[in-house]
Amino acid sequence: MFKSCHKILLSSVVVAATSTVAFAADKTVSNTYSNGKKVIDGGATYPIVNGKTSAYHINENTLQGGYSYARPATPNEMKAWDIDVMPDGTGLPEGKGTVEEGDELYEAKCTSCHGDFGSGSGSFPALAKGNAYEGVKTLTNQRTNPDKDGPIRVFGTYWPYASTLWWYIKTGMPHNAPLSLSNDDVYALSAYILSINEVTVDGEELDDEFELNKENFMKIEMPNKDGFVPNIDGPKGTDNVRAYFADTKNYGNGTRCMKNCFDGKPEIQRIQTEIGGFNPPLSTARDLPKQEESAGAVSEGQKIYEKTCAVCHGNEAMGAPVLGDKQAWSAVLKKGIDAVYKNALNGVNAMPPKGGNMSLSDEQVKATVDYMVNKAK
Amino acid sequence: MNKTSNMSNETLSNVQETTEQSSRRDFFRKTAAYSVSALAAASVMAPVKVNAGDDPAIMKEQPWATSLGDPVTKNQYGVPSAYEHNNIRRTSELLSSGNWEASISMCPIHESEGIITPNGLFFNRVHGGVAQINPNQHRLMIHGLVEKPIVLTMDQLKRYPSVTRIHFIECPANGGPEWRGPQFNSIQFAKGMMSSAQWTGVYIKTILKDLGLKPEAQWMLAEGGDSSHMGRTVPIDKVLDDAMIVWAQNGEALRPEQGYPIRLLLPGWEGNLCVKWLARLQFAKEPFYAKEETAKYTALKPDGKAIQHFYALEVNSIITKPCPEKPWTDLKKGDLVEIEGLAWSGMGTIEGVDISFDGGKNWVEASLKGLVLPKSWTRFSYMYKYEGKPLILASRARDDAGHIQPSVKQERAVMGVESVYHRNAIHTWEVTEKGEVNNVQVLS
Repeated sequence: MFKSCHKILLSSVVVAATSTVAFAADKTVSNTYSNGKKVIDGGATYPIVNGKTSAYHINENTLQGGYSYARPATPNEMKAWDIDVMPDGTGLPEGKGTVEEGDELYEAKCTSCHGDFGSGSGSFPALAKGNAYEGVKTLTNQRTNPDKDGPIRVFGTYWPYASTLWWYIKTGMPHNAPLSLSNDDVYALSAYILSINEVTVDGEELDDEFELNKENFMKIEMPNKDGFVPNIDGPKGTDNVRAYFADTKNYGNGTRCMKNCFDGKPEIQRIQTEIGGFNPPLSTARDLPKQEESAGAVSEGQKIYEKTCAVCHGNEAMGAPVLGDKQAWSAVLKKGIDAVYKNALNGVNAMPPKGGNMSLSDEQVKATVDYMVNKAK
Repeated sequence: MNKTSNMSNETLSNVQETTEQSSRRDFFRKTAAYSVSALAAASVMAPVKVNAGDDPAIMKEQPWATSLGDPVTKNQYGVPSAYEHNNIRRTSELLSSGNWEASISMCPIHESEGIITPNGLFFNRVHGGVAQINPNQHRLMIHGLVEKPIVLTMDQLKRYPSVTRIHFIECPANGGPEWRGPQFNSIQFAKGMMSSAQWTGVYIKTILKDLGLKPEAQWMLAEGGDSSHMGRTVPIDKVLDDAMIVWAQNGEALRPEQGYPIRLLLPGWEGNLCVKWLARLQFAKEPFYAKEETAKYTALKPDGKAIQHFYALEVNSIITKPCPEKPWTDLKKGDLVEIEGLAWSGMGTIEGVDISFDGGKNWVEASLKGLVLPKSWTRFSYMYKYEGKPLILASRARDDAGHIQPSVKQERAVMGVESVYHRNAIHTWEVTEKGEVNNVQVLS
C-alpha cells in the first residue's frame, strides 16, 4: 500500500458524504498532471514522489533520454507505411471509381459476407439500412421493451466521416485479403456504399454513373457528422475531452448509500432468453478429457477447409451449412454428391466459385467437399 | 540428466551400444533396487483393513504414489495438469463479427486466483485473426510530428530501460450484451472479456525524450502490423503519463494472442486501445477517426449523441465466489464461507468494496486483500455464515478518483440501454435455497 490506512478511512468518509474527490495532501495520487491540467480521462495519476510512483519503485535516471539505438526512418519507408486517411483528406490518394464499378466489385468481393445491397448476413455487419438521413433519426431509439426498434448504426446513419470508410476498405477489406484493392477500386466501392445509403454528395444523388474522386470525396458530409461528444477537433480537442470526463454526470456515477437505499423489496430482472451454445460447454469438472476420435494426420481437405471455407462454413451465422451440422448437410446431399461438387466448383447463392480461392485445383475442391461431408456423417 | 532420464524408456540392448556403459549399468541396478522397494512397500500396505468411513483416496494405493512420474525431459514448456482441461477460454458465435477471425474468447474468471491471469487463459479479441509475426522481420516506426522519426528493431527496442507493471486489460464491451437485462447464466460470459497480467516494456515518454516531439502534437495514432491494420488515436496526455510499449507478459514474451512481439499498453483504458502487433506510432495535430473509434467503441446515449474517445474503464466489481459456475450447492447450513471477488478501476486505485445480501437495499463493507495497485484487479473478501436462505448478492466498488459503481437504475438514467460499451453497473447474483447461483439484475 502506498497510503496509510488512516488516509483510506478518511477519504472513504469524504467520498460517502459528498461524492467529491479528496486527493491526498502527500501528492502520491493526483487528479492533475504536473503541467497543471486535469487528467484527461477523469481519473487519477500517480506522480513520482521519493523515487516511487504509487507502490512501484522507479529509477528516475532511466527517464532522462540519451538513447541512440534507433536509426532514422527514411522518407520512402514512412510513405510506404503511412496508410491512414484523415477527415481533412490527409492520406487520400488520387483515383476514381463509379457507383456501377463499385456495384460490380461489391458483387464479386463483398456480397458473400455483407449481403445484397449491404444488408448484412449472419453476424457480418450490414453496411446500409435504407435512407441514411432517415436512419439518423433512429439514434434516439431505446429498446426499453422488446418490441421497440433499436437505433440503426450502419455506415450511413452513424459514421461521422467518409475518410474512415476509405481508410478501412483500403487497409482492412476484403477481410481475408486486406490491401488487395487498388485506389480506384476503393473509390468505386466507397461510391457504391454511399449510394446504397442514399447519401448525397454536394447535393447530388448518386446514380450508377456517379464518379467519386479525390476532389468530390472532400465534399461528402455524413448525416451523423455532429453525432459525437465531446468535440475532439481543433486546438481545444484534448481539453474538451478533459472537461467532458471530469464531469461524471456525462457518463454516470454511483452513491455510497449503506442503509435502506430504496423502498420495498428489490425489483428483480431475471434472464428472459438465456444465451447458451458455448464452445465448449461450461464445466468445472476435474476429470480427464475424452479421447479424440481419431487424432490422425490432418488431411489436405481439412487444411483447405480451415484456410478457405471456415470463414463461412465455420459459423451458422453466415447461413452456409456449418461443418458437422448433420441436418444441414443431409439437406445439401439430397441432390447427390456430384451436385455438391458442382456447386463448390462453380459457386451457389452467396458462395463464390471454389469458395473464392481460384488457386485451388478441382481435385482439391472435391477433397475439401469430401472432408466437409464426412464431418457431418 | 537427459541421458539417464531417457534410459527408462530405452531397451537394455540400446543402452549397451552406448559408450558410457558402466555408469548406465549402475543406473539400471539402482532403478531395479527402487522397483523392488516399491513392490515391498505395496505388499506391506495391502493387508490393511478398510473400514466404512475410511476414505479410499487415503486407504487405496494410488498409481502415482507407487510408480515413477514423468521425466524432466517431458514438456520442456510446461502444461497444466490434464485434470484442469475445463479451465479454458470459451467462445460463442453470438459474440463474433461474422467469423472466428473477428471474434473474442472469454477468460474463465471463475477459476482465476489472485490478480494475475495465466498467459494461456488471457481473453483474446481479434479483428483479423491472431497474427503469427516473425520478430526479426517486425519493426516499430515512430514518425509524424517529431523532429527525428525513427525505426526500431525488436532487439533495439528491448535495449531501452524497462518498467514492469501489473494491470488488467478489459474489452469495453465486457458485460455489454446485458444492457437490457441479464442474458448469460455464467460469469465467464457475463464478465470474462478481461484478464490481468504483469507487463514489461518501456514508457513511450522515455523514447520520446530523444525524438523532439513538436509542441503542436496533440494525438498519436497507434497501428497494428497484422491483417486488420487496426488503428486508434491516443491523446498526448496519456502518452506522456503512463503509456507503455510492452514485450513481456508474466515474465515471458507476449503470446501471439496478445500482440507478439509488441503491443501498446494504456493502463486502465479500453483493451481495444492497447493495439496489438504494434508497428507504427504517428504523432499529429488532429485526431485520426479510425474505424474502431467511430463505428465501434462509441457509446450511444438516449439523446442520440454518442460518447467518442471514451478511454478509461470505470470502477467495477463482481463476486467470483459464489457465481453460476462455482455455486454453494455443496455447503451445509452453518458453514462459514468466504465471499470473494474482483474489483477494478481504469481511473485509479480501488479504495473499498461494499457487499449487499438483499439486492442493494443494505450494504456492509468487505475487506480488500492482497496487493492494491492502480488500474489493477483488486481482490475483496467477506466472511459469511451460510444459512441456506435465498440471497441477492451484490458488490459495489469505489476508487481513489472519487468514482463509485452505479446501480443499474443510476447507470441507465444517464446512458440508457443502447450504449453497448462501458457498462459498469452493480452486478448481482441470486443465490437460491439450494445454493444455486443465477445472474439477475436489480432495477430498484
